[in-house]
Amino acid sequence: MSELLIKNGIVYDPLNDICGEKKDIFVRDGKIVEEVKKPEILDVNGLLVLPGGVEGHAHLSGSKVNAGRLMRPEDGRRGLRRKTAITMPESGYSVINVYGEGYRYARMGYTTMVEAAMPILTAIHTHEELRDIPILDKLSMTLFGFNWFVMDYIRKGEMDKLAAYVAWALKISKGYGIKIVNPSGGENWKWGKNVSSIDEPNISFGVSAREILSSLMEVNEILDLPHPIHVHCNRLGQPGNYDIAIDTMKISSGFETKREREPLHVTHIMFSSYGGEKWKDFESKTDEVTKEVNSNKNASIDLGQLMFGDTTTMTADGALEFALCKLTGSKWSNSDTEMETGGGITPQIYSPSMPINAIQWAIGLESALLVKNPYQVWLTTDHPNGAPFTTYPEVISLLMSKDRRKKEIERVNKVVQKRAILSSLDREYGWNEIATITRASQAKAYQLNDKGHIGVGADADIAVFNINPEEVDPSKDYEEVERAFSATKYTIKGGEIVVRDGEIVKVFPGKTLWTNAEFDGYYELIEDDLKDWFSKYYTVSLSNYGVSDVYLTNPEVIKTNPKIGGRIEVPAE
Amino acid sequence: MIIEDVICPFCGSLCDDLTVEVKDNEIAGIENACKLGYSKMMGYEHDRYERPLKRVGDEFKEISYEESIEEAAKILYNAKSPLLYGWASTSCEAIERGIELAVKIGGVIDQTATVCHGPTVLGTQEVGKPSCTLGEVKNRADLVIYWGCNPFHAHPRHAERYSTFTKGYFTKKGRTDRKIVLVDIRKTDTEGICDRFIQIEPGSDYKILTSLIAIVMGKEESIPEEIGGVKKEELLGLAEEMKHANFGMVFFGMGVTMTGPKYKNIAALERLVRELNRHTKFSLMPMRGHYNVAGAGAVFTWRTGFPYAVDFRRGYPYYNPGETTSNDLLTREEVDAMLVVASDPGAHFVNSSVRRMAKIPLIVMDPHPSATSELADLIIPTAISGVEMDGTAYRMDDVPIRFKKLIDSKFKSDFEIIGDIIEKIEKRGVKD
Amino acid sequence: MQNITLKSKYDGRISVEAEIITPDNFSGKDAKEIGEMDLFMGNKTVKLKDIFEVSVEGSSENPEDTEIIIKGNTDRIKRIGEGMTSGKIVIEGDVDMHCGAMMRGGKIIVKGDADSWAGREMSGGELLIEGDAKNYIGGAYRGETYGMTGGKITVKGNVGAYLGEKMKDGEIVVEGDADMISGMEMLGGKIIIKGDAIMPGGEMKGGTVIVMGEVTDRMPTFKMDGMEIIEGIEFNRYTGDLSVRRAKGVLYMKG
Repeated sequence: MSELLIKNGIVYDPLNDICGEKKDIFVRDGKIVEEVKKPEILDVNGLLVLPGGVEGHAHLSGSKVNAGRLMRPEDGRRGLRRKTAITMPESGYSVINVYGEGYRYARMGYTTMVEAAMPILTAIHTHEELRDIPILDKLSMTLFGFNWFVMDYIRKGEMDKLAAYVAWALKISKGYGIKIVNPSGGENWKWGKNVSSIDEPNISFGVSAREILSSLMEVNEILDLPHPIHVHCNRLGQPGNYDIAIDTMKISSGFETKREREPLHVTHIMFSSYGGEKWKDFESKTDEVTKEVNSNKNASIDLGQLMFGDTTTMTADGALEFALCKLTGSKWSNSDTEMETGGGITPQIYSPSMPINAIQWAIGLESALLVKNPYQVWLTTDHPNGAPFTTYPEVISLLMSKDRRKKEIERVNKVVQKRAILSSLDREYGWNEIATITRASQAKAYQLNDKGHIGVGADADIAVFNINPEEVDPSKDYEEVERAFSATKYTIKGGEIVVRDGEIVKVFPGKTLWTNAEFDGYYELIEDDLKDWFSKYYTVSLSNYGVSDVYLTNPEVIKTNPKIGGRIEVPAE
Repeated sequence: MIIEDVICPFCGSLCDDLTVEVKDNEIAGIENACKLGYSKMMGYEHDRYERPLKRVGDEFKEISYEESIEEAAKILYNAKSPLLYGWASTSCEAIERGIELAVKIGGVIDQTATVCHGPTVLGTQEVGKPSCTLGEVKNRADLVIYWGCNPFHAHPRHAERYSTFTKGYFTKKGRTDRKIVLVDIRKTDTEGICDRFIQIEPGSDYKILTSLIAIVMGKEESIPEEIGGVKKEELLGLAEEMKHANFGMVFFGMGVTMTGPKYKNIAALERLVRELNRHTKFSLMPMRGHYNVAGAGAVFTWRTGFPYAVDFRRGYPYYNPGETTSNDLLTREEVDAMLVVASDPGAHFVNSSVRRMAKIPLIVMDPHPSATSELADLIIPTAISGVEMDGTAYRMDDVPIRFKKLIDSKFKSDFEIIGDIIEKIEKRGVKD
Repeated sequence: MQNITLKSKYDGRISVEAEIITPDNFSGKDAKEIGEMDLFMGNKTVKLKDIFEVSVEGSSENPEDTEIIIKGNTDRIKRIGEGMTSGKIVIEGDVDMHCGAMMRGGKIIVKGDADSWAGREMSGGELLIEGDAKNYIGGAYRGETYGMTGGKITVKGNVGAYLGEKMKDGEIVVEGDADMISGMEMLGGKIIIKGDAIMPGGEMKGGTVIVMGEVTDRMPTFKMDGMEIIEGIEFNRYTGDLSVRRAKGVLYMKG
């Protein structure tokens, strides 16, 4: 029995309505408890204490991320860190090796991560990397946006089969929820084309993005999945795409859900809030997009904040990456996955003097500042697309300080004062709101009841930062804020101290969470279809497809209550 | 017992539709395998090392597993500049441990890509790799080009399962829905399944590929009437065919990666495919040899950041082919101890490297005698992955597949042995 | 003025990484301090004094007034002068890889041969190699966008393949012959090869390559657009490489 007492910290725990109270936290056997007997005592007198951070959307493991690492040894040589007696060496700045990913998140006080895009066919790869990412608890989102079974069932109107297929695919890929990237359009990319609106039917299956989105949102509800459908919009990254983001969100308006979270999440909103018709008249449309978020309680967003510097873009939206490559002339990899999804990768340098980049930078911040309810926003950089996740401390300081933003605006291309509205926004985030958009929002959106808060019964995932929130004025001392969020005083994961004074002091594997939404007879519903298409069109056998438990570290199954058939009693793991 | 959907542990095609009959813990029959896969799987018992062997003077002396592991740990721990090589014919799980070992002893770890598709990696690091999984080819490709490769012999079921004869969703008629072209320096048996053969002069790939790029970009005016033994007309025709395919595919092999400016050939090929994507959909794929060489690259990359030739001697990964690659290190006599896992560099490395291998403490983990084990100071017999041990392998298109254990073995697997060596090293204290 | 002499005692075959050897790091230090600096040999850290005998004459806090002379067997000493900003290094014998890599200023003279990647990614200063040099002289790191971006490299002997790969600015002069594809993917700057060359200018996008000797295996993707007299010799002027978008590379060859 291991016990810990974190004494006298200034605690922000939004989900439990604790806002800057000086408070002791008690930990026993990895959980937050009411009291302890003989604990190790950490007196953190006056320091900021938050729940462990929850990364809601990042590209950290699997075929696409690894293709990015492979393509960029010049990125690999940045961020090298020697081995220690307990850690493996780190490499990479934007495409980081698995150890660096785990250690760097832990150093920043993060303890849970979501891999945002997992193809089923290569899900073993995703999980092999997740198995290697130390310390963090892990979830991954399975890609469905232009999956052939999905599109075929939708064009035939077979919703039960669609639900059965999604339940089966989540189980076989050990996925957590439904990820949708460039719905319908991704299939066209396999002929070198795309779709231009959410109502355009694609070439080979004749289904539109709207049909895919609304059907999968329905299935998400039928299967009682914990997370909203998680959507990367059509025409992402192209001027004039903001109306697609709005139309996509509108699909969820009025939708009824039993889960206490939004039914639809639009991810990395920055890349979908573009006005103008061409890059020449490119402008921010954050005002329009956030108007929709503020009036639609059924949609949430994450930022996809862009920060200046060198990074690597990667997405299942292959068409987008090729378009970027044509703009920059930079190297480009593509990886279309049969029957299911696609992927592309190209490096980017975001420069403050480039008009487009300056506006993109402003859009992310504007989104955070204009959405009224912080539970509808998550802080992300869509790592590594907008920037590496290691820039979070800087983003936090920008959100907390108008002065810092003003200083930055003076530094970047002047166009930002005309074609973005950032300079007119006075709002400054407080500690509680920062705690919300980095922890609580994600925990709620993923319905992770033991994460994102430090109430009794929660996992003892805690971050203590070397900053006194009562003494520091984040509006003025923004550099202090950035420094404090860069490396914790302590990161505690599952009740164990893993980071002390910014250094990794203990390493162990985290948990792997996945969702089991099986229902009575679900497999029989789709068995013939699976056998038929696997024998005809896949290049692997059905029996060799999918991820077995050997690939999961400390698996934890989230069981749901589907509203279809009867719930199958799954034997305990 | 009949085991279905068995994965063949031979080449990078990683066929997963074999049926194997097992009787009394022996393989009694195999269906669906090509002759290469068949002979590997049927011949698993043939000519095995029965026990670990240690060289004493001119002879090998039998020792126990325990002794061999202690000996291996001692050699590797004491080395200033050890090299761990091989990894293409074992499981990802074993490779993962290999990287851990390299980190702990402060050594260089390299894999067989260094002598086959290393240039493909280098090309990709210049230009990127527009590619896809094999099912995309099966379902969509109406133009397939084999360039400098000979699947008829090296990947016997590739054409049938993935690239030529197979029928798919948009290629319902299979072979007749496709045009197949071979580009090579000589007519190989693969020519027999092709519609067209373009013969090029040895070492001229780079010039031909850059010419094709210029043609696709509409800048053919400077191209001379003949390049590398090919008439300009023929290249103009090929470029047109490529641009007008609905889904084009290039498979390439060591005929391109190992001649002339090597990786610049691949970079040019990748540039050509990228250029073609302005006109239609085009992809390319290296024809990987060993069944898990792609897996070795994958594991290396996610664990270290780099795909092969990774130097941990200074405690962090340093990668620079030409400097940290096995042949360069061995030829320069920089290696003072070497561990070879599931590979035969004694047969494939340049002479100067092999001479160095003969001089230094050499540990070989292999089920069978090889040119390398002839030179070894310590031989540790292993179970055969894919027959006697399960694990993960990556197909040439980077699709991971879990291969099966078909029979029990008295031998330890690579995975176990390397784990045991790491344990011994840890007892000695991790070098810092 | 500070003169530092390092006399190599090393004849091992495992290379020694010595990026610490620069005027920037040595200036103002005495022999003892320099001797205590770390070098790396295989997986061992060694002291500089274990590899070199160190002697120092005079003293200067300014690297500009610091000269390092390296004597003895140095063919396995890598990364000498890496990132140096000023001062001078003279290497009397052969030198191993990455000599003068990323150098920003000052001067390095190699009296013997230099191994590959000498002057890799250098942005200023001068590197003079009196013997031969191997591959990627003035080139880039794997996957990187740019090679050399400034400064000057002179090689009196022959060079290996990919001279000035991805070079963006600066100048390289080779008095002997050049192996395969000099000016590979070059973006700017100037390369002069006084001897022969093979396939020069492959995939070059900008900059100038002048080959004064014979060229074998010409790239087919260059367009001849005139004649020019350079140093009294008549050259044909080509632009390319046409297989690269927006290519404005200039290649001068005889005939």
